Amino acid sequence: MSIETIVIYGLAFILVIISVIKDPLKTKKGLIKGVKSFVKLIPVLVPLFLLIGILLAVVTPTFISSLLGEESGLLGYIFGLSIGSITFMPPFVAYPLGAELLEHGAAYPQVAGFLVAVMSVGLVYYAAESTFFSKKSAIYRNAVSLIGAVVVIMVVMVVFT
Amino acid sequence: MMRFMKGNKFLIFGLFLLLVLSVIDMNYTYRALDNTWNSLLSMLIIVPPIFILIGLFDVWVPRETIIHLLGEESGMKGMALAFFLGAFSAGPTIAAFPLAMVMLKKGAKYSNVLFFLMVWSSLKLPIVFFQITTLGFKFSMIINITMLIIFIITALISPLFFTKDELKVMEQKAEQYTK
Repeated sequence: MSIETIVIYGLAFILVIISVIKDPLKTKKGLIKGVKSFVKLIPVLVPLFLLIGILLAVVTPTFISSLLGEESGLLGYIFGLSIGSITFMPPFVAYPLGAELLEHGAAYPQVAGFLVAVMSVGLVYYAAESTFFSKKSAIYRNAVSLIGAVVVIMVVMVVFT
Repeated sequence: MMRFMKGNKFLIFGLFLLLVLSVIDMNYTYRALDNTWNSLLSMLIIVPPIFILIGLFDVWVPRETIIHLLGEESGMKGMALAFFLGAFSAGPTIAAFPLAMVMLKKGAKYSNVLFFLMVWSSLKLPIVFFQITTLGFKFSMIINITMLIIFIITALISPLFFTKDELKVMEQKAEQYTK
């Protein structure tokens, strides 16, 4: 179990105790609300995990390394941005992969673009956001983050060479 | 039937992809299902306390407080708070969405909620520390500072892209999901 998990359980536990001491009825109401929204949101989230599972099966770190290798040039930038945008990867997989790509000779701007796209643009996020907020909101946030990835590529090019 | 398909388009899309994978190579299908199961499990571990926090947040924090802190008139302070909420968080971005919906429902300004989501997705502090140890300080900081500036600008100009009605619809949707 990661530290993150322990911290968040600890926090929830402490707050529930404080809440019970202050007002048991209100606590009960809050917990019921939490369970209710959990029940409502899970059916929306499960298909997204199926998509994540499929993506991770096809777009493996080895596959990405093969595309973003040494001297992949302009095509490498485009691959990096598109794979990063489509796919989903937890940061604990994405950042070590970035470091590995750099070691194998991928250029800094290329890796930067890929990482930004992986972290904040995504088919999976798009699906969740269009359901929970609106299609427009989903397009806006994902498009803005993709533009951000391109800007990051340019900034890294200037600063890092 | 059509309604079922419309409501479950991502599920249907996923099953379709699985079918395509099975035709290409069954190994992909097994791996995909294995991944799905594992990420579902890890989500089910991290998500219960998040929903407990959301429920408590809902009953204890009055609407007026959120409107005051993150609402239309909150200005720079609202943005700063949205930043801190996003940066001092834990959990995958998927977990940020329910929280963002409760914020919207309680009267937080859309641009602040958007900024919160953006910060959560890529500038969470635990992740930034991890990023620095794997990618180095300078490289990480160039990426993060550039993204922060872009997030601030795009959150600030976001009201230009959304009408009042569109924002209202989002608020109602949030209300419905977190009732």
